[in-house]
Amino acid sequence: MNVLDRLKSWFSFGKTTPAYPFAALFKKFQNILKANNDALELIADMGAKLSGDYVFDRQYILSSCAELSDQIYRLIVDLNTLTSRKYLELFNRYERIHQSIEEELAGKWILPQGDAVIAYEAMGQGLHELVGNKNANLADVKNVLYLPTPDGFAITTSAFRIFLEQNGLYQMIQQRLQQYADEAELQGAQTPQSIESIAAEIQNAIRNGAIPESLHREIAKAVRALQQTKRSSGLFFAVRSSAWGEDAEYSFAGQYQTILNVASDRLLDAYRSVLASAYNPSALVYRSRKGFQQHEVAMAVGCQLMIGAVASGVLYTMDPSADERDVALVSATWGLGAPLVEGTVAVDTYTIDRQPPFQLRSMHVVRKPTMLMLSPDGGTETRPVSPELENKGCLSSAQLQRLVEMGMLIERFFKRPQDIEWALDSDGKFFILQTRPLKIRSKTGSTTLDIAEIVKRHPVRMQDRGIVVQRGVATGRVFLLEDPDDLDGVPHASILVTHHTSPRLARVMRRIHGIITDVGSQTGHMATIAREFRIPCIVNTGMATRIFRTGEEVTLDATQNVVYEGRVEELLYYEFTEEDVFEETYEYRLLHRLLKRISPLNLVDPHESNFRPADCKTYHDIIRFVHEKAVEEIVDLENRRAGSSGQARELVMDIPLGLCVIDIGGGLLPQSDEKRIGRQDIVSVPMNAFLDGLERSGMWNSGPVSVDFGSFMSSMTRTMSPALSDPRNAGRNLAVITNAYFNLSLKLGYHYNIIDAYVSDQVNDNTAYFRFLGGVTDMTRRSRRAAFIGEVLERFNFRVEIRGDLVIGRIKKCPRKIMEQKLWMLGSLVSYTRQLDVQMHEDADMEKHTQLFCQQTLARLQEGTEASLLPIESQPP
Amino acid sequence: METEHKFQILILDDEPIVCKRLKPALEKAGYEAETFTQSAMALHRITEKEFDVVITDLKMEGLDGMAFLTEVKKRYPKTEVIVITGFATMDTARQSYQKGVFDFVAKPFKLKEILDVVENALAKRTATEKGNVP
Repeated sequence: MNVLDRLKSWFSFGKTTPAYPFAALFKKFQNILKANNDALELIADMGAKLSGDYVFDRQYILSSCAELSDQIYRLIVDLNTLTSRKYLELFNRYERIHQSIEEELAGKWILPQGDAVIAYEAMGQGLHELVGNKNANLADVKNVLYLPTPDGFAITTSAFRIFLEQNGLYQMIQQRLQQYADEAELQGAQTPQSIESIAAEIQNAIRNGAIPESLHREIAKAVRALQQTKRSSGLFFAVRSSAWGEDAEYSFAGQYQTILNVASDRLLDAYRSVLASAYNPSALVYRSRKGFQQHEVAMAVGCQLMIGAVASGVLYTMDPSADERDVALVSATWGLGAPLVEGTVAVDTYTIDRQPPFQLRSMHVVRKPTMLMLSPDGGTETRPVSPELENKGCLSSAQLQRLVEMGMLIERFFKRPQDIEWALDSDGKFFILQTRPLKIRSKTGSTTLDIAEIVKRHPVRMQDRGIVVQRGVATGRVFLLEDPDDLDGVPHASILVTHHTSPRLARVMRRIHGIITDVGSQTGHMATIAREFRIPCIVNTGMATRIFRTGEEVTLDATQNVVYEGRVEELLYYEFTEEDVFEETYEYRLLHRLLKRISPLNLVDPHESNFRPADCKTYHDIIRFVHEKAVEEIVDLENRRAGSSGQARELVMDIPLGLCVIDIGGGLLPQSDEKRIGRQDIVSVPMNAFLDGLERSGMWNSGPVSVDFGSFMSSMTRTMSPALSDPRNAGRNLAVITNAYFNLSLKLGYHYNIIDAYVSDQVNDNTAYFRFLGGVTDMTRRSRRAAFIGEVLERFNFRVEIRGDLVIGRIKKCPRKIMEQKLWMLGSLVSYTRQLDVQMHEDADMEKHTQLFCQQTLARLQEGTEASLLPIESQPP
Repeated sequence: METEHKFQILILDDEPIVCKRLKPALEKAGYEAETFTQSAMALHRITEKEFDVVITDLKMEGLDGMAFLTEVKKRYPKTEVIVITGFATMDTARQSYQKGVFDFVAKPFKLKEILDVVENALAKRTATEKGNVP
């Protein structure tokens, strides 16, 4: 057959025997596996850049995205070659994702219809260009820090642009400003229009502009949604400007309008009014001086539900004027806070310690004869304060404690002292209305802080160990967490030191200042949460629990990867004075946004109906899809190649697994066509290691657990993969192997496991993947089981993802011996969990089982070497 | 008491974020750092002052990094130059070393990496100043 004929027959559908020799296809399969891992590696690499440990620029982002897109594209090509073009639809999905990434990189954001209005609770992170700085910060306070903020929504900058466009205002504004600029140059101009009248003209045009129909609809929809949640049709809003742009907050602070207590039917007028305020005379002059381009003006507006405030005020998390830097400053008045912000009313002032327990240092209570209150039909009015409250302090010390504690959490997150507007409602609940960075004056008369000198005075307790998960500086007392069950005992403001990363630590994330671990993953759940909260965190140090003791004061500088003895507050202040907060830089936010289209995994269960090309939303989904389908295909090909009898051989074992083995390249000793094989016939390295763990760890309890596949399969409603649904393979567990490769689909009782591993003498090629899905018991038990498995995997240094009752663990690039130990552990884990459903009555059981399992497994592994327990970095190459 | 001489470092990179991340790291390590995003300004500065170490990117708008570092070495042969770049190739590496560059660090790099290289460069410079190394 010549090349053309071969190609023709290859690309024709409906053929059962491929024209390519099996060996070539198998090679393609191996390439796919490798390319898969490379792509996952690159994604992990990009994610690691968010730690702040690396200096990278836009160029890095561009080239990694280009490289990744290339890899994904080739993966899809290879899969289609392998499967005779079964998955061409993947190219469409790829194109969609690729396109959105390209647009992001080009600086445009996608403007689907819905993005004109975004509810605060639906606001993701990093949306500054779309919702403005104020709104974006509030979204973080609400959705990341879970602090109480008023409900509401933002009318975005893209709505602003559409508004200007549809009213022909871009040109109009451009013309007027050009006129002004020209006239200003011509000194001797006859009658230069003053900037005041130009501003008036523009503002008028905006206030009278028509609201585009689509925007009107979106706003009405958002209002209706709030009316439903609040079960009230009489809603009132605070309408605030939220501009985007570096200088926006500092220069225009207070110059843009805020309108209080706006009834929902007056929202549109208020919106236009606030937009118009962006074109007041001083703003126009400022922009033209600074060379701001017209198109760079991006105004978003926030609509927050009004809080019926009993008291309101401002919190500075650091006193900007004082020489003492360890106090926070609160000012308070009765009623609404607007007059306080404007400086037109007398206020109580308090100074409070910045450290827990946030003790009151001093207070100055003044006479407050009047207060601003909500008028029932909209707007505000000044009313007298009742006599008994006139001279009373607005806040108790308990309330101040709560307020400052919230403020410190916000400061740590934004890595800058904050200027926070707050309100207290009649139920005694605090609300954060607004937060922005606070300008701190440097200490009067001091020379620039010689940080290196100061730092030298503090002994170094640990340096350059482990991996930085999140940069930043934190001071506090060490708390050595030995008992993972004792999370309630973790004190506020502590630096947590513990043996391994664990998803459970998410519970304490809001009250600790830093984390240091001996072992653990930089990409697991805990690491992700630490980055969300921006808690300085270093993992995998190998020695932290041996070095630090509970109670000692330390300073964790994760940015430089150093831990100093004592509190070096100057390091904290030094960080405050850095020009930019890394997490607020354009590059960080760009990378963060791009990764949202790349790394989240939506495709979870290959047997669910939503495991289709059309459901791939991210590159990670595509990688996952390609992997599963490639394995399916190679098994299929093997079956077809071997003819009707199939080459699946039954493995005879002491344990009644019903395991069938398909050898696709050197996984078994050369056989005549035997239908049954024994352990001694298996050459596959990872398979042997896994089976050893399964059979010989002693975990397999031969108690009465049902392995009646027929009955439980009929109770499962999920669709089966083609390989398993093949009548020849029905009711079997299936392993696909080569001498170095092992892919196992294992159903045991109600558990469904997938193990996929490659173990050779090339460290860089080695990888193991473990996927566990719970069975038909109730969700609580299934989640407990998943938590147990996740915890065990973390202790053995796997990268873990948990989604309800699904657990995925990954590990790679360990030397062969270590990989075998990991697989041994997986075998014994599968063995152990077989029984666990009925025994997991309570959460406490989970911890008991984790300890029990780990102890037993470690004991057995120690009979070999201890190497698998050490963090990967310190293992011999 | 005489103030200890702090090593003077000049950083040139057209990406502002690189300058903003490097400066605090160097200051914490005890050096004084001046940063530039425009090569013209950096060129002007070296006519005014001698630096102990110069860190420069290669591929930038305007005066390219290679020309800048040549100029630096011409004026101050004993100043150590470190090249950082996102476009690391064998060719550019070879060229840089030929022009007397001390070391070459590919972007993205860890803060620790660059600090180590700076430390080594300064050690060499100190030795050179003392006449120990020709």
